[in-house]
Amino acid sequence: MKFFDILVQTFPTFTKAMLQTVEVTILSLFFATVLGVVFCMFKMSKLRPLQWIANVYISIIRGTPLMVQMLFIYFGVSMAIRATIVPDFRWNLTVAGIVIMSLNAGAYMTELIRGGIEAVDKGQMEAARSLGLSYGQAMKKIIMPQAFRLMLPSIINQFIITLKDTSLLSVIALRELTQNTRIIVANNMEYFIMYAIVGIYYWVIVSILAALAKMIERRTTYGK
Amino acid sequence: MASKIIVKNLIKSFGKLEVLKDISTEIEEGEVVVVIGPSGSGKSTFLRCLNSLEQINGGTIIVDGYDLTDKKTDLNKVRQNIGMVFQHFNLFPHKTVKENIMLAPLTLKTMSKEEASKKADELLKQVGLSDKTDIYPAQLSGGQKQRVAIARSLAMNPDVMLFDEPTSALDPEMVGEVLNVMKDLVRMGMTMVVVTHEMGFAREVGDRVLFMDGGYIVEEGTPDQILSHPKENRTADFLSKVL
Repeated sequence: MKFFDILVQTFPTFTKAMLQTVEVTILSLFFATVLGVVFCMFKMSKLRPLQWIANVYISIIRGTPLMVQMLFIYFGVSMAIRATIVPDFRWNLTVAGIVIMSLNAGAYMTELIRGGIEAVDKGQMEAARSLGLSYGQAMKKIIMPQAFRLMLPSIINQFIITLKDTSLLSVIALRELTQNTRIIVANNMEYFIMYAIVGIYYWVIVSILAALAKMIERRTTYGK
Repeated sequence: MASKIIVKNLIKSFGKLEVLKDISTEIEEGEVVVVIGPSGSGKSTFLRCLNSLEQINGGTIIVDGYDLTDKKTDLNKVRQNIGMVFQHFNLFPHKTVKENIMLAPLTLKTMSKEEASKKADELLKQVGLSDKTDIYPAQLSGGQKQRVAIARSLAMNPDVMLFDEPTSALDPEMVGEVLNVMKDLVRMGMTMVVVTHEMGFAREVGDRVLFMDGGYIVEEGTPDQILSHPKENRTADFLSKVL
């Protein structure tokens, strides 16, 4: 059958493209978590300018399409860098992809982490402080472990969103799953089969992630 | 006897709402003070000011010789000597019973791991829960949770214990087991401030009863004076509704 022939035939390039997709997703999520923690601290800090920076960042990311953010960073920012600091600057495609996806997911992670912390019962902080723990100790030992547990489903959800959003990186020609498909389609003209195949790849990865999420969630539930 | 807690002209507001208006009192070492009053009278807020869970707007509070209003006072240090038990227990759900008790001594490095473990076992025996060591709070009944919470506070060897309506969230049949643990503490000579609606407890073990209403201490005296022979109309009125 033609479908299976093409599936087997394109498997090697798809393996590569899948690794590219997964690499960008995982690294972006990692940096997004770092950004999320930092901006969450900004948001919860008592210093107004820090709150302001975090709010502007989140507002910009949430208020503009990912596609526009990509085009702006890949073409716009690189042009600005060429005009100022590095005259022959060119983005490494993977790096550009990771920067774009990290910045985007970082804003959502900020809100997600803050939501998790705020969802922990206020009495937990009071109990910890009344025992003599400092704010930092209470955060680390009592609040964050519980907040993380509450956040986990949303973090996995963000993981899945980011993974699927990487398909947009095809506009900057990063050879992830979608771009790989477009290149192959341009040669073999098998639109129906090729886009079905790439859909299956995404679906499989997302399903594995979702299953993993369920497993982790069950393992971190205490005493119920 | 020495004063353990000295409160002078304490004022506390939430926004525009003044909850505590000029509260002054002294609590002696080993004394058991029971605070009663209608809801909204400020009694819980008063208690929470004593370990600085609430920032006060005026007056001074001195605990163990430390002035809580002094910015130089290390509140974390002072709080280590003041145990607090909450209405809703506030046990750490991600830790086992024993871990709950050992957490503060280990985090604050006041005990070694062996000492903390030994102490936790002793305390669990004291509150009658030696068989619950390794389970999580979610598997305990309300009364058991509160007894663990008391043990958790005692792990820091406090010399004052604050109780904020410790039996209000419990089913009636579980109130007794918690009160018994508290009575044991009274017998051991612990300085205690207890906000409660348990008049029987007040009468049995209280050295002094404070009746609060509208942000003031309306009346104070021995349990017999306050509960049986109140001088103020407001006190009599409140007691007629709860007794």
